[in-house]
Amino acid sequence: TVRPKNEVEQKQLCAFGEYVAEILPKYIQQVQVTCFNELELLIHPDGIIPVLTFLRDHTNAQFKSLADLTAVDVPSRQYRFEIVYNLLSLRFNSRIRVKTYTDELTPVDSAVPVHKAANWYEREVWDMFGVFFANHPDLRRILTDYGFEGHPFRKDFPLSGYVEV
Amino acid sequence: QTTGLVGLAVAENPHERLRILYTKILGVLEGIPKDAAYRKYTEQIVNERFDLVKKETDVQKLQDKLNSGQIEEVIIQAENELSLARKMMQWKPWEPLVEEPPSNQWRWPI
Repeated sequence: TVRPKNEVEQKQLCAFGEYVAEILPKYIQQVQVTCFNELELLIHPDGIIPVLTFLRDHTNAQFKSLADLTAVDVPSRQYRFEIVYNLLSLRFNSRIRVKTYTDELTPVDSAVPVHKAANWYEREVWDMFGVFFANHPDLRRILTDYGFEGHPFRKDFPLSGYVEV
Repeated sequence: QTTGLVGLAVAENPHERLRILYTKILGVLEGIPKDAAYRKYTEQIVNERFDLVKKETDVQKLQDKLNSGQIEEVIIQAENELSLARKMMQWKPWEPLVEEPPSNQWRWPI
């Protein structure tokens, strides 16, 4: 069986995506809606804090909850890491995804001033990928061992690691 | 008399508070260029809510008409919108795109 297509929700998400793209043309590079009715905003990295504050504070888009903050490593690209923020709006019961890009050496603005929940998520992204977050209150390793060298989730880090156990 | 939400006190005289907040928001929006989409849509939302607040004096009926949770939540939302408007004045997001991404950046599958 195949999941039935929800055309109404798709249209609503498209309309909302166009609405946000019209309000923030300075930072939004692309807007897409997946076939599973998921709205994604593709952002320039300078616009992380403006876009996240807009989505949190605006009356038509009260995305008060940061559900997830992750990164994706695509080594063949010039900006290899793609930072992904998943937001949830409790008032309107809707989710949205915000994506940015960076390479290994460029720092990215921390989302902690906007969403307190981003604290440990950003520590995890730093530890696993090596993406530095500027203005983070406490950026240190969170999952790897104390003397661990390297960033495990990168695609060029071997499965069994560099150190023999 | 209670909001039913933890940590949110009942607001005495919510009409006055909302009136002040909405006038402040409209004042901040005056500083944004007239053709910005943010100014258009926010003015529309604020004017709609402001008219409802001015016409309806009963708190319960106002909550039902606004259809946006408790009055105290509406007040918090108006405060958020005010701080957002002030920050938008500095960020100016109505300008054209800052920088185009590299052509293979958003291509999926790679």
